[in-house]
Amino acid sequence: MSYKSVTIKAGKGGFGGPLTLVPTDTRNKVVSVTGGGIHPVAAKIAEMTGCPAVDGFSTGVPDNEILVAIVDCGGTARCGVYPKKRIFTVNVLPVGQTGPLARFITEDIYVSAVDASCISFADESAVSKAGTPTNPTSAPKTKAQAKAEIAKMNEGKPKNLATRIGIAIGGVVNKFYAAGRETIDITIKTILPFMAFVSMILGIISASGLGDVIANTISPIASTLPGMLIVSFICAIPFISPVLGPGAVIAQVVGTLLGVQIGLGNIPPQYALPALFAIDAQVGCDFIPVGMSLGEAEPETIELGVPAILYSRVITGPIAVLIAYVFSIGLYS
Amino acid sequence: MEAIAAVANGFMDLFRAGSETFIAWVTGIIPLVVIMMTAVNSLIKLIGEDRVNGVAEFATKYTVTRYTILPVLAVIFLCNPMCYTFGRFVEEKNKPAFYDAAVSFVHPVTGLFPHANGGELFVYMGIAAGITQLGLSLGDLAVRYFIVGVIVILIRGIVTDKIYAHMSNKK
Repeated sequence: MSYKSVTIKAGKGGFGGPLTLVPTDTRNKVVSVTGGGIHPVAAKIAEMTGCPAVDGFSTGVPDNEILVAIVDCGGTARCGVYPKKRIFTVNVLPVGQTGPLARFITEDIYVSAVDASCISFADESAVSKAGTPTNPTSAPKTKAQAKAEIAKMNEGKPKNLATRIGIAIGGVVNKFYAAGRETIDITIKTILPFMAFVSMILGIISASGLGDVIANTISPIASTLPGMLIVSFICAIPFISPVLGPGAVIAQVVGTLLGVQIGLGNIPPQYALPALFAIDAQVGCDFIPVGMSLGEAEPETIELGVPAILYSRVITGPIAVLIAYVFSIGLYS
Repeated sequence: MEAIAAVANGFMDLFRAGSETFIAWVTGIIPLVVIMMTAVNSLIKLIGEDRVNGVAEFATKYTVTRYTILPVLAVIFLCNPMCYTFGRFVEEKNKPAFYDAAVSFVHPVTGLFPHANGGELFVYMGIAAGITQLGLSLGDLAVRYFIVGVIVILIRGIVTDKIYAHMSNKK
């Protein structure tokens, strides 16, 4: 069977690309890691290239067979995982270099805001230039080689005490500095944008009077144990939980709304603890295949592991709320 | 003319409420979180991943430590999403349960160690903001969130292990 190459460019407001995908006999799976079946963009790419489309949630695929991964990541985790492994990544959401793995998201491996109109057949010049992405192991190897060379050069040169202390202090200061830089990075790229978007929503909710509606509907549910058990159960239903997951955005918005109600005195403060577990029964359900492949699980394990975790949550979600409820006794009283 | 001005004012009020929330968060939450994250990040860099690896290998041997110490260490030292790479220390049949335990800890950890999941702070911070508004201290909530988190991931690990074992036997 002969495959066709395609070029994918970024959509409106998107980042990265254009990527030229050249399927080979081994690297030919279009993996849709979006939850809820094969994403239309994945289906379109599969149709045009002639490659099989695979639902990453129900079928595990070894990394070296993935032609391209389709994700719908809002910018916290998934959008960086595949670029870090140097696998071509197509994000259907308009997300640029963000999240803890932002530094791996580069234009040569990642493209976002993609819809069906962004995909076209590649012309020959693009194909000859493109190829498979560079092997992820090659970079660290050369680094190790460089290190070995430096070590060799330094051999036989005994360092005096002052030099050694100087190097040690320099090393520690550098680590502090790097820690600071990482922190500011994540503050600017992830925390501040979230604050901006949620405070806008909260402002509109409170100024428009919608807040009273929420207070009257959510508060009674979140201030009784049965209410919270129901919330956790709903969040854990196997076909709902992967959809609620991405970026924990829904859990974060609901958490903030509940916080406002606690602050207003509509929900007793000790209910904060069980509520934290009730709204989060779905945590990570959108990320199961990716997370397990990071742990070097075999594709067969992932295939069975996804439903095992999803079913487990239906049991452990409400249990978590019960335990948190017991532990909330005596809190703020 | 006045009517237009009134509409414009109403429109601005819609956003003024949001801007007040934003100011409160930026001045109230960010400075503390930034300093805490920098401190813990430095400490982790000083200790180094290698030294944690030894403890991780030991912790995989027993069911109880595999779903408590191992995921807690992974989340605190490697943060979300790299914490799941600790799955490599775990036997193949336990990998789904380990992932379940680790991912379920990425929020309970944020009360005490916000650096571990900086991108998703508001599950905890959102609710915590209400507690602060009431003038109550957060320490008690953060510690209990952490402890309940550890108990929950242990249960989740064991339950998922059982379900996975049952499903793979059937196959």
